[in-house]
Amino acid sequence: MTTSLFKARAGSDTWPWLFCLLAVCCALAVARPALAEEPAAVARSAETGAAAQQKRQQEQPLNNAPVWREVRSGDAHFTTVRGPETGVLIQSEGQTWRALRNGPVTLYGGVLLLAVIAAILAFYKIKGPLTLHDAPSGRMIERFNRFERIVHWGTAGTFLILAITGLAILFGKHVIVPIFGHTLFGYLLIVGKNVHNYVGPVFLGFTLVMIVMWARDNLWHNCDAEWIRKGGGLATGEHVPSGRFNFGEKTWFWIGVTVLGLTVAGSGLVLDFPNFGQVRQTMQTFNLIHVIGALVLLMLSLGHIYMGTIGAHGAYDSMKTGYVDETWARTHHELWYKEVKAGKPGQSPGHAPAAREVAP
Amino acid sequence: MARMKFLCDAERCIECNGCVTACKNEHEVPWGVNRRRVVTMNDGVPGERSISVSCMHCADAPCMAVCPTDCFYKTEEGVVLHDKDLCIGCGYCFFACPFGAPQFPNGPAAFGARGKMDKCTFCAGGPEADGSEEEFKKYGRNRLSEGKLPACAEMCSTKALLAGDSSVVSDIFRDRVLRRGKGAEAWGWSTAYGGGKQEQTRERKQERTQEQAQEGKQ
Repeated sequence: MTTSLFKARAGSDTWPWLFCLLAVCCALAVARPALAEEPAAVARSAETGAAAQQKRQQEQPLNNAPVWREVRSGDAHFTTVRGPETGVLIQSEGQTWRALRNGPVTLYGGVLLLAVIAAILAFYKIKGPLTLHDAPSGRMIERFNRFERIVHWGTAGTFLILAITGLAILFGKHVIVPIFGHTLFGYLLIVGKNVHNYVGPVFLGFTLVMIVMWARDNLWHNCDAEWIRKGGGLATGEHVPSGRFNFGEKTWFWIGVTVLGLTVAGSGLVLDFPNFGQVRQTMQTFNLIHVIGALVLLMLSLGHIYMGTIGAHGAYDSMKTGYVDETWARTHHELWYKEVKAGKPGQSPGHAPAAREVAP
Repeated sequence: MARMKFLCDAERCIECNGCVTACKNEHEVPWGVNRRRVVTMNDGVPGERSISVSCMHCADAPCMAVCPTDCFYKTEEGVVLHDKDLCIGCGYCFFACPFGAPQFPNGPAAFGARGKMDKCTFCAGGPEADGSEEEFKKYGRNRLSEGKLPACAEMCSTKALLAGDSSVVSDIFRDRVLRRGKGAEAWGWSTAYGGGKQEQTRERKQERTQEQAQEGKQ
């Protein structure tokens, strides 16, 4: 009932919410030290505080307005009970977090995720996969060495585990519980939550290695301008030359892997290690950053997974075996192919690109 | 049907922490977990007020709304309870709750290993059979099923903390507010603080004479 209430409320004021949310999140993250000092300053103002209460008790005995203002202020007061924020009687930020998380984040996050999946399927139905223009040559060249493949699949595997468990935490109540019931879902999510919390830091490790490993090959190249102009030839099927990574891959690398990957993993650490005295407001802010970042990352990753599997013939094999056909290389990464053929050093870190004949 | 509520009379609470102790003892709550706590504003200053707080069993409970496994449920009497078997210890209820009611046996542990959430049950136990051993181990005693009110309110020495059917609780409180008057007229004031009204009147007279004297000088 509560959820439907929020859905109904979210319906009336839609897009500005999402927009404001991102801005607010960023602002909060930056302004935290300033915010932490603010309530203390308010407490010392004329309306609240010990002096105001003392004065009020003389002027109007039993009128405890200054005390009730303090109750509502969210400041910490005296208590013998030890624990996180036990001195705070009422924290109001929780309601904001609840309204955003249960409202627009869940609703539009879910809708957009389904929309992206539908768009990709529609594109596949209409355009079909990218194919090679010429027949395969049978000569293979190395595209990803063993180390690169281990890092890629390490990142991909941990990402998928985190995505599935994370989606279950956000949407499971609405999607899985109606099918499997509370008991089974509860037991599954106990495992899911622990897996999520322990796999998260591993994902961060793989992501950092991946960023260092591929940053150089993802730097701007003059041919990227042409790629952007022609939209990668995705719609027209036109041939666009590109280096080891084309601009689409570079976008995914910088915005997806680097910016969003680090944002999501970093905010995850704040949530995963509450043992550094984070207050509830910090957790709420980072939870929103984490959830929104993860949803956008997931949407982008769907594009990457599509291109790496059914979207482009031969792409999946390149990451599975490490080798691609020369025709594939010439079709998709012409400049890289020429560089490899010319024997330019440093194309594949640690390994000289080697030609290999496939067994007939 | 009765709607169960807590009410803490800030004019009566003397910060004895009897409710906290009663609760811990009644339910054999583990170390580090306090289902109830007393918070004092302006401690040690004239006009200080204390309030005993725990789960307030909200009508639209935020914990219930944000729980990923939907482990909370509400009894017919409006008591918010939860199923520890479904709790994953994510801490979301603690983020959302305005009163800081949800507690975790391991505290804010690394990798979010908080353990199963524990909170005030309004002495109404959990989903297990009323008064069963299993229920007691997980949620403490089920006093409501025995026709008793929460231990904290029963134990309160000044009857500052009231618990029970909201209409009865509000009747008691309304009656109390009307009867006790204000300030030094309050019941028990002279017992606790001596002179009461006379003393206050004397102080005011003194202040007035001082003011008049100052005005005279000017």
